[in-house]
Amino acid sequence: MKDTISIRQVGVLMILCIFANKILLLPSLMYETSKADSLWIILFLFAIDLLVLTLIFKLKTIYPTTKLYDILQNKIGKILTKFIYLILLVFFMFKALLVFSVTYVYFKHQIYIQDLIWIALISCLPVINHAVMCGVRGFSRTMELFIGIILTGFIACLAFSLFTPISMPYFFVAPVKDLLGSCYRHIFAFGDYIFLLLIIDKIEFKRGDFKRIYKYAFSGIILMLLLFFLFYSKYQVTAFMHNNALADLLVFSVEFNAVGRLDIIAMLTILFITLFQLEIFCYGFCESIRGIFPLLKKFYATITFDIIFGLLYYIFIGKFEIMVAFTSHYLPILAIVVNYTLPILILIIYLIDMRKVKKNCENVYISQDEISKSNQNTNLSSDESNVALSNQDQAGSEHGDKQKENSLSEKASTLNNQSGLKGGEYEIKD
Amino acid sequence: MSYFNIEKQIQLLKQKFNNCVDFAYRIYQKQDKKIGLIYLKSIIDQSLLSEAIYLPMQTVKQIEDFNNLKNIIKCADVKITQKENMVKDILDGKVIVLTDFSKQILAVDLLKFPTRTPSEPPTSPVIQGPREGFVEDLQTNITLLRRRIKSENLVLDVVKVGSETQTKVCITYLEGVANKKIIKKVKEKISQIKIDGIIDSYYILSFLEDRPNSLFKQIGNSEKPDIVASKLLEGRVAIIVDNSPIVLTVPFVFIEDLQNSNDYYTNHHYSSFVRAIRLLGILIAVVAPGFYLALELFHYSILPLNFLITIADTTQGLPFTPFLEILFIFLLFQILYEVSLRLPSYLGLATSVVGALILGDTGVKAGLISPPGVIIVALAKIALYTIPEESSQITVLQFLFIILGGSLGLTGLVAGIVYIINYLNVIDSFGTPYLAPYSPRIASDLKDGIFTEPVTKMKGLPKSFSPNKKERS
Repeated sequence: MKDTISIRQVGVLMILCIFANKILLLPSLMYETSKADSLWIILFLFAIDLLVLTLIFKLKTIYPTTKLYDILQNKIGKILTKFIYLILLVFFMFKALLVFSVTYVYFKHQIYIQDLIWIALISCLPVINHAVMCGVRGFSRTMELFIGIILTGFIACLAFSLFTPISMPYFFVAPVKDLLGSCYRHIFAFGDYIFLLLIIDKIEFKRGDFKRIYKYAFSGIILMLLLFFLFYSKYQVTAFMHNNALADLLVFSVEFNAVGRLDIIAMLTILFITLFQLEIFCYGFCESIRGIFPLLKKFYATITFDIIFGLLYYIFIGKFEIMVAFTSHYLPILAIVVNYTLPILILIIYLIDMRKVKKNCENVYISQDEISKSNQNTNLSSDESNVALSNQDQAGSEHGDKQKENSLSEKASTLNNQSGLKGGEYEIKD
Repeated sequence: MSYFNIEKQIQLLKQKFNNCVDFAYRIYQKQDKKIGLIYLKSIIDQSLLSEAIYLPMQTVKQIEDFNNLKNIIKCADVKITQKENMVKDILDGKVIVLTDFSKQILAVDLLKFPTRTPSEPPTSPVIQGPREGFVEDLQTNITLLRRRIKSENLVLDVVKVGSETQTKVCITYLEGVANKKIIKKVKEKISQIKIDGIIDSYYILSFLEDRPNSLFKQIGNSEKPDIVASKLLEGRVAIIVDNSPIVLTVPFVFIEDLQNSNDYYTNHHYSSFVRAIRLLGILIAVVAPGFYLALELFHYSILPLNFLITIADTTQGLPFTPFLEILFIFLLFQILYEVSLRLPSYLGLATSVVGALILGDTGVKAGLISPPGVIIVALAKIALYTIPEESSQITVLQFLFIILGGSLGLTGLVAGIVYIINYLNVIDSFGTPYLAPYSPRIASDLKDGIFTEPVTKMKGLPKSFSPNKKERS
């Protein structure tokens, strides 16, 4: 089975990534330091995430079928690539741990009423391991099927919160210093699009898909902003006391007319979101570890995930206070490396390759002229003349500079694929 | 010159057939020429034999040569066969005509099995629409399809499978519509079957499935020619097996079991409603007992107060834990179901009375089981039959979800659902995603999904299994 995913499935993954680590604990944590102005912080961080997203798909246009590992290995060498994969491995592991522990704390207090960590672990780990074994296509299809239910549940939570009195939160009350501090402290909850870098070779992407990508990204961001806004509007100054934002939106609406308890909607939505996010992060971890140890089989990668997950849970995350301290002191450093340093590296690679592509395009123009001249004089084989003709067609198209650049870069990458070269290395034969 | 020693040949054949009781022969002597007829009387049309062979033989005065003999026989299907094929031909219901004046052998097809007339299949009752069903005879089944698809593109490839049974398996498709890769794969898989006998089409099923160990059905089946004809028109491949009224179709997608032939003969709004109910039925059937257990054992705080009080009242003093109680009721229902299936119909009513009234009612009154438990399991068992085709799979899932709900609660249930959907998403039936057109979403195929559109709007063929043709025209 070809392990590729459609743009719609990428969109679903993106929406679930946006929800990661943000729907339960984050709103109250952010309110503690920056009040309702947290909204500006998340707007700012989402804007950066969007830039990263654009960069990822720009890179995809140059390297349509090349793995991130191969791209990096070509540019910065094997050792540095493995080091980056090691950082990614740690990043995804802590992302998974954080998602799991925050949801578990919610379930422990709201549903199970007792500490039953083994139930949560037995429920989650086999499912996420199986999903990883199924491959990105398998689990993204599942997410595609469930996204309707998840979004309905999410929107229902937001909508039912409107049945209780809400008032506009106060903005522009937190000092800039606090805002910056909060931005740094909670940066780890963002930057989930990095996951897409790991599956860059598996995405079926066409040039016109940029619009769709942004559509999905904006849908997710708008929903998150709405959640933050409604949560702050509902709880105002006491927002920092409510650790389960999405579920707490329903707290005073739980006995809605004769329908009965409504918090089951939030519970199920959170459960589905958590499981899918864990699948994504587990996959990210397994891909990273397999980048470091290429011979490691998927099964053993998932087992490694389980063991490390269990150990780290007990060491760092098991206690709520340690978890909060850990996430606000150490994880931001990791997040800065992964969320910003890696994209900068990708940007540099992209810019260098674009320059190369431009240069090669000029060579292509020259070679096309030569080919067409030689075509007139000599008899070329049909394949060669076809390539020459298609090149001529492309050279003859009268589009804007940018579009021409894009199309030529794609052409160059196609030529690369045909000649078996990796992205960034172009060889034009006269 | 004598070509065949007829008596010797008959003796040899008789030995080959182990002197079986239905082995029959007759020798005619016309002047100096001898003619031998050999056949199995159990599988040929005896009256046709008299009319087509015996009567002309008796009335004719002289047989000049082999061609003359061929002309005397009053039957449309007369072929010249080889000596080494005689046994096979006899088994195929042919009368072998041997002579001592020619080296050629005639095989006259007089095959006749006892067959039943096409009637409404018991597994697919019809409210509106055709009431015909397939029968056990391959020829009749082909006729039923031909009657509906009068096209030269309808291909019927017959192969024989089973070293002992030599069962005819007919691969049917519409040339130019069905995907060639699927046709090739079906033919390959059938040609690779190594088995002594095919008794029913279900024998072939496991050979066709990509994952024979899977719980889920990967091959479609139907007893109704109108359904099979419509599937052929969509570009599917049908496999008709001689001696079986069940016709298999590939590729199969899960949504097919939510569809019913009645849906296409009624208003599409009603069809959509009914399909949604069927989906809800599956959900209730699979999850309801497990969900009830999860709420009762782990998350009782979620239950509305009135409901919680009712449950608390009725479950007080029960000797079993809720988990064992639900498991007990589930097994009780399953045993009753199995008994009612196997008992003659006149005893079925008695079992229902004993099961439902005595065991259920008395169990509740005796304080062994609680009424909510009985209601939940009964609801799940009834919901199971909104899609009878999937009942066996759903029963197993019910059991699994009872264990998950009872041991892990809500998280276990959600994890179970995600696990199963993940699993279904990696199943491909002849290259077609099992959960198409919903996962992956194929927008054009949704017209015949849960929410249907009128047949006039279903202009395109389903894209999920890439048929050769795109439009219905």
